[in-house]
Amino acid sequence: MTAGRTLGQFYPVESPLHELDARAKILATGILAVGLFLVDSVTGLLLITTAVVLLVAASRVPPGIFLNFLKPVALIVALTVLFQVFFSREGATLLEWGFLEVHEGGLFRGLFLALRILLLVSTAALLTATTAPVELADGIEDLLSPLKRLRFPAHELAMMITIALRFIPTLHEEAQKITRAQAARGADFSEGGPIRRARAMLPVLVPLTIGAFRRADELAEAMESRGYRGGEGRTRYRELHFRARDALALAAAALVVIGGILV
Amino acid sequence: MRVELQNVRHVYAPGTPFEVEALRDVSLAVEPDEVLGIVGGTGSGKSTLAQHLNLLLEPTSGRVIVDGVDARTLKGSELRRRVGLVFQFPEAALFAPTVEEDVAFAPRRLGLDEEEVQRRVRETLELLGARHLAGRSPFALSGGEKRRVAIAGVLAMAPEVLVLDEPTAGLDPATREDLLGVVRALREGGTPVVLVSHDLDEVAEVADRVCMLEEGKVRAVGTPEEVFYAHPEASLAPTTVRVVAPLREGHPEVGRPVRFEETLSALNGLLEGRG
Repeated sequence: MTAGRTLGQFYPVESPLHELDARAKILATGILAVGLFLVDSVTGLLLITTAVVLLVAASRVPPGIFLNFLKPVALIVALTVLFQVFFSREGATLLEWGFLEVHEGGLFRGLFLALRILLLVSTAALLTATTAPVELADGIEDLLSPLKRLRFPAHELAMMITIALRFIPTLHEEAQKITRAQAARGADFSEGGPIRRARAMLPVLVPLTIGAFRRADELAEAMESRGYRGGEGRTRYRELHFRARDALALAAAALVVIGGILV
Repeated sequence: MRVELQNVRHVYAPGTPFEVEALRDVSLAVEPDEVLGIVGGTGSGKSTLAQHLNLLLEPTSGRVIVDGVDARTLKGSELRRRVGLVFQFPEAALFAPTVEEDVAFAPRRLGLDEEEVQRRVRETLELLGARHLAGRSPFALSGGEKRRVAIAGVLAMAPEVLVLDEPTAGLDPATREDLLGVVRALREGGTPVVLVSHDLDEVAEVADRVCMLEEGKVRAVGTPEEVFYAHPEASLAPTTVRVVAPLREGHPEVGRPVRFEETLSALNGLLEGRG
């Protein structure tokens, strides 16, 4: 009930992006991701930034919640900027402070990289926020199915992803329950240094791990008792449909990237 | 000890599409020396209410008063020691290599000396009929044994109020009877017990007062006979009340028995009166 909103959470509202075919969204995310690494001009990056901002608006995910999706990478972004700013000695010196020097080139490159990472994470967050986990897994399976001929276990991979995604909120809830149960027995997870705190987590981690194994067992039994035998000949309740608008979305993603490279 | 909820409202995940109002304006007191039964259907807010009694969940609005003091002004650990809370399926939180050590976790956290810790472990395991399990691994026990041990793990803090959330769910009848016996023993010993349960029959057996929740609101509070005879429908009253309630039309002298033994003697009285 109190699922944490972290990177990769489905946000169930109605929007044009939610309605797109999962495969189109996965491919478009891939195109944008590759494009982000090919684009190396400021105007190009700003073009993609504009596109991503418009997409976030179109997804109807409230901006505040969307920013929350980006929180987990805040530290990485900050480190990247600092690293570039202090260790690159390109261009005019802007600041000098002891052995630390800030150069124009470093500052520029740091901010450029930060924006690139944020955009990359934003596109991934857009994908998971607007695509139900089951559709996402079905989309991945479909996209990988040509590899089945090479004995690539596309179905199994998709099933693993589905199950993993499905159980993130469940385990999260379970962890919360156990944490509260131990708190009711006087456990305190906030006092002491890192080692003490890690030790304090033991009464939560042990039962959580045991519970996860038990769940896995039960799930396997439930799947078998419903006749699950793997992907062979298995049909789907919800079929994915690739429509004209999905093709348009892909074309638009490609255009933005090409535009970004050319300008 | 007396714990009181004043106009407590609780909203889960406020401001998101998952927002749920679990408690709406609940006012209720746990009196010293009573077993208070909290009943209601799935999703009626029973468990949410239970977690407010020691502020593991904080009210969105309203207050929790412990012996006349706003619970928010008390230290969290202090409050949790005084109001012992046993969650639903508490055995999910067993973690130590032996039963003994698991039960000792809470008293050790209180900073008691080892002798006192051991004494409490022995006594609580004894009370729950699990003394013989002390050296075993909690993971190798049966469901009923695990439940006993998990409850002992909270009782070892010697709480002044014990809150049990569905303590008998999924248990065998023998363990269930034993646990109800523990509830009675605690009450005799002066520790009030809050029994949250969807099993009306067991609440009927041990409760001095009953609070009926519905969609996060208090639908009725009072003695078991008041609450259950006011709502003798199948989903709201224990079996005993459902048997007796229709008889009362022609035979008001049968009274309003709720407990099994009471009901039996009332029905016997009725039959003898006829003979």
